[in-house]
Amino acid sequence: MFINWALQEINLKIVYYGPGMSGKTTNLEYIHSKLDPSLTGELVTLKTKEDRTIFFDFMQIEVGRIKGKKPKFNLYTVPGQVYYASSRKIILNGVDGVVFVADSQKDRMEGNIETLLDLENNLMTMGYSLENFPWVIQYNKRDLPNTESLELLEKKLNFFNVPSFEAVAIKGTGVFDTLKSIINLVVQHVQRQL
Amino acid sequence: MVQVKKLKDGSRQIILTAKQFDEITKVLSELAAKTKASTILLADISGQLITQRGNTDDINTAILSALAASDFAATSEMAKLVGEDAKFKLLFHEGEKRNVYLSNVGDNFFLVVVFDVSVTLGLVRIYTKKAIQNLLTVFETSEAGEDASKLLDQDFSSMLGDMLDESFK
Repeated sequence: MFINWALQEINLKIVYYGPGMSGKTTNLEYIHSKLDPSLTGELVTLKTKEDRTIFFDFMQIEVGRIKGKKPKFNLYTVPGQVYYASSRKIILNGVDGVVFVADSQKDRMEGNIETLLDLENNLMTMGYSLENFPWVIQYNKRDLPNTESLELLEKKLNFFNVPSFEAVAIKGTGVFDTLKSIINLVVQHVQRQL
Repeated sequence: MVQVKKLKDGSRQIILTAKQFDEITKVLSELAAKTKASTILLADISGQLITQRGNTDDINTAILSALAASDFAATSEMAKLVGEDAKFKLLFHEGEKRNVYLSNVGDNFFLVVVFDVSVTLGLVRIYTKKAIQNLLTVFETSEAGEDASKLLDQDFSSMLGDMLDESFK
């Protein structure tokens, strides 16, 4: 979090985390395509030739002034593939809240769990913990045929009972609900900390 | 002192008072004048832009600072891999028309100086070094901080909720 009193700005950093191909970039692309251009900057994506995120995607959202204050939300994604572990750690630096984008497909459960553990490890090296850190889960790709049941996903991934959302990010289903929820959690968390 | 607080949950919070902000802006304006840099940014290592000077109309500076922060972070990892214990203090990108010079300001901040290739690097180095010293002095100036809890009250949350609903229609 960065507060600038002179400009009355509050900058918050939200990171979309999750296994490879779970739809993190798709979330940002949808948000970017739907928001009024006056509220959002350009969406930067650092991709490989195969369209996979190599470092991160970034965009900034502003919602105008509230009681004279100007909140700005910086949204990042991390690369999901296992071998980009150090990039993920770097992007988490200074994070205020996390959206964990899980892939609902049955054969991706292990990848989800592995990435969630990777997130917990990275948070812990920075002195945070999933237990008392603002984060939400998005179960993405709910429209695909071989998805895991919501109950099982909740049981395996949502052990701290954080807000969770079913989504089809490519169509935008659940995308804004997820974003709104993490923004609310982060703001509440910041209020408690101040 | 610029408040860089570690909170009880481990998160980091940076609060800049209006006076410190003015002084930082002054240092950057001087650096811009001396080096004829086209753009100067001061950002925090997590990629949040703090302030900017020079011609910033054509550049998305929020993105530039996010990219520069990762550039820095990636190079620190590189330093570790090649056995350099300290972090690399500066990065230099040379282009055909523009050069970019990045330098650490203490542990939590960095400067990005974008300048024309006609300006000599030595000049940029000297004045950037001086600016960094001045910035560090500003950061250490003791000053009673404003009460941050006034910034975000309950009203703020509910109004933010309404505005998000409005924007996300």
